Amino acid sequence: MIGETLTLKVAAASAISPSLRHLRLVAADGGKLPPAAAGAHLQLVLKGATRTHRNAYSLISRPGARDAYEIIVRRVPSSRGGSAFIHEQIKVGDVLEAGWPGNLFAPVRTARRHLMIAGGIGITPFLSYLADFAFGGADYALHLCCREDEQHVFDPWLAGKSGVSVHWDADGRRLDIPALLAAQPVGTHLYVCGPAAMNDEVLELAAAAGWPASHVHCEHFGSALSGGEAFRAFLAKSGVEVSVGEDESLLEAIERIGVKAPCLCRGGACGVCVTPLLDGEADHRDHYLSAAERETGRLILPCVSRARSGRLVLDL
Amino acid sequence: MLHSDIKSRPTYTQLEPDLSGSQHLLIVEGDTVLPGRLDSLAGTFAPVEENLHTWLVGTQAGGLGLGKVWRLPEVADVVDAFACATRGYGIGDRLYVQGTEPFLWSVAKAAAIIGFSAEQIHLHHAGSLRRRVWCTHCHTVTENVTTSIASCAGCHRHLLVRDHFSRRLGAFMGVMVDAEAPGEVPAVEESFA
Repeated sequence: MIGETLTLKVAAASAISPSLRHLRLVAADGGKLPPAAAGAHLQLVLKGATRTHRNAYSLISRPGARDAYEIIVRRVPSSRGGSAFIHEQIKVGDVLEAGWPGNLFAPVRTARRHLMIAGGIGITPFLSYLADFAFGGADYALHLCCREDEQHVFDPWLAGKSGVSVHWDADGRRLDIPALLAAQPVGTHLYVCGPAAMNDEVLELAAAAGWPASHVHCEHFGSALSGGEAFRAFLAKSGVEVSVGEDESLLEAIERIGVKAPCLCRGGACGVCVTPLLDGEADHRDHYLSAAERETGRLILPCVSRARSGRLVLDL
Repeated sequence: MLHSDIKSRPTYTQLEPDLSGSQHLLIVEGDTVLPGRLDSLAGTFAPVEENLHTWLVGTQAGGLGLGKVWRLPEVADVVDAFACATRGYGIGDRLYVQGTEPFLWSVAKAAAIIGFSAEQIHLHHAGSLRRRVWCTHCHTVTENVTTSIASCAGCHRHLLVRDHFSRRLGAFMGVMVDAEAPGEVPAVEESFA
């Protein structure tokens, strides 16, 4: 983890839809919080009855705010426990440990125009973008693709904001992504955050429409990717072997036995946890390593990637 | 002189259409076109001809159909054309430029100002090696330098023309050559004819 640990207190918690819970977190000692910029996320340590989850959530609070951090968490049906814990266990007054905010998805300041495409809860990083753009006068458009019954869920954050369109799966309401991407002026930056299938489709369409790669930015939801078959990992420097269960990540297993491993996003995006792989074949699930790096088979991101070979040897 | 150990020294490639682009704009400095070369460019860009515009700049530009052709008297008109186009270019567009280095970088800078990214701009050096030189002492730009040591148009110091290149200025660095021993100026060579 980069930086020091923060101790936060739940100041307010409310259901904004059957599957979405909004949390307002303040410093437990009543002091000021470190400021975070648009696109930043917060890593929460969620101590459940059987295991500890460390999940990253986008901050939707106003960029620079120091009085409170706000997040919105969707309850995932196939949750490994993190989102269920937030929905079922957390109550006002609880104290949580968190890392300092990190930011892997900041808006590009030199952009002429910002085009944001969100899928459902993927709107969360863009809520902080909107708050930022409202001050800077930037040219932008936000397209939210969601279920019809959720079209008003985010209204409290979108009220009074221009440039926001909402789309859902019905005739006349679907987003024509190819037409949207083709119509953008030079100097536009594209940001996409949503389910993996939507992200992949938008990235593919942008490449086909001739978008320069440096102008296309994507944030993936990481946690759903990390489960799979159980396997074993030997940590060569520490001299210990650990069993990685079906529903825990390699990183979580490493942390469970008390070995220190660096990490930041826990979603395969930032590369902070990249670790030399001494033996074994990795099942790469990150968005960080290049094709060439994967080819060499000598690096792994333990936050999301797993074993294809039954046993891995890490230089950790 | 197009290759150097100095990392900032740009390298250039042959022009060919980037097929992932949507609209293609080819800008050619007319007097850098060798006989027959425009024919060969026309062949290279034939696959994108339907979405191709060609701007021929200067007097000697030959008349060949490379998509829609527009003639411009000089590079300043290219810069003006970009500066006046507020919404005219798309994120999928590609720009290809052929000419001397001052021409290439004048066009590239004007395009960058309206939002073109480096990945959308392809540069091909042709014609003279003459350089635009920026004086590190008085910050004056001296145009059309062909010699290894040149007199600064601003402060008249003798400047050693280095390979250090600024993409922002589109110019090479010039530093006073006789600062240590005033008056001792090495032999001047015609290096960038």
